[in-house]
Amino acid sequence: MTGSATVMKPGNLTKTLLWASGWLVCALGICITAAMPQQNPPDSAAVREFQRGRDLFTGRADLVGRIATHLADLPPEVVRCGNCHAPGTEPDVPRSQAPRLDRDFLLGSQRRRGGPLSRYDRDTFCRLLRKGIDPANMVVSEEMPRYTIGDPDCSALWRFLTDGAHEP
Amino acid sequence: MSHNLELSRRRILRGAFATAATTMAGGWRSRAQTPGNDHDGRINPPRPVPDIPLRCADGASTSLGTQLQGRATALHLIFTQCTTTCPIQGAIFKRVQDLLADQTAHALQLLSLSIDPESDTPEALQQWLVRFRARPGWVAAAPRIEDLAAIRSFFGDGGRAVGNHTTQVHIIDRHGAWIWRTFDLPSADSIAAILQKMA
Repeated sequence: MTGSATVMKPGNLTKTLLWASGWLVCALGICITAAMPQQNPPDSAAVREFQRGRDLFTGRADLVGRIATHLADLPPEVVRCGNCHAPGTEPDVPRSQAPRLDRDFLLGSQRRRGGPLSRYDRDTFCRLLRKGIDPANMVVSEEMPRYTIGDPDCSALWRFLTDGAHEP
Repeated sequence: MSHNLELSRRRILRGAFATAATTMAGGWRSRAQTPGNDHDGRINPPRPVPDIPLRCADGASTSLGTQLQGRATALHLIFTQCTTTCPIQGAIFKRVQDLLADQTAHALQLLSLSIDPESDTPEALQQWLVRFRARPGWVAAAPRIEDLAAIRSFFGDGGRAVGNHTTQVHIIDRHGAWIWRTFDLPSADSIAAILQKMA
């Protein structure tokens, strides 16, 4: 009986080894990925929201606002937040009297316009933008526009100002 | 007898004029104010605006008195490097001019008066007008540095930081007398209504 084992040619052996090692690498990769603890991937929704907030703040995206006593909206370029307010630790707006919008100002407990101690949360922040009433129920300056702004954009602004990405 | 008649006629005319003026002022007041605002902007008695030298956006030298003669004027205080309230003031004047159409060219005018004469060169003032697509009838001018305190004080803006200037609009009659001031950042519609009554 002659042995039925076939002898591989050297070229075929190399191909087979390459195939096998390729499959092994893939399998190992899948195993490693599956075995890794779930790290927080960048939350793309949060990033998008932050970017949207930044765009609204700086005027890359339009806001709709008017002075409370007016009958018509003002042009978007004159009601940008960044015209008056500096966010986080970014440079001051020259000669502006408007408060810097950093985490301390928004999230810290403060007396505002002579009212009781208060701090902002997303809802009171949105109320201020829409109605000009701060978290201590005090009406802010008439020079602050009142905005027609939906919940998603309001949340985006809130995230931009409070997530600390541009603060130490 | 005829002398007495003349006197009583004068009295009647004087009374009628006073009543008309009061009614008119009341009309202006109700238009210039928002409901519930008890601000009374009348300047009583009207005060002649100081006749200080001005440099206009076109480079011409004039005086405030000359500029105000013959036209009812809405005046606001601005500086062109201001990014906060001044752009809103400019947008308001732009809308006033749109509401008034071509009337501003002859009987009425808008005047942006700089409170930063050091930086507000004629070129900067011209850019201010261009930025708001101002048409004839909207003038921008700056006083001399030495007159700045006096003119700001006259319009009730004395002692404030430049960045915290008033955003009121001041109404001046065709004889150069200051007769009315609004609250801060009045609506274009209210300013246009006042000016139309004066045209």
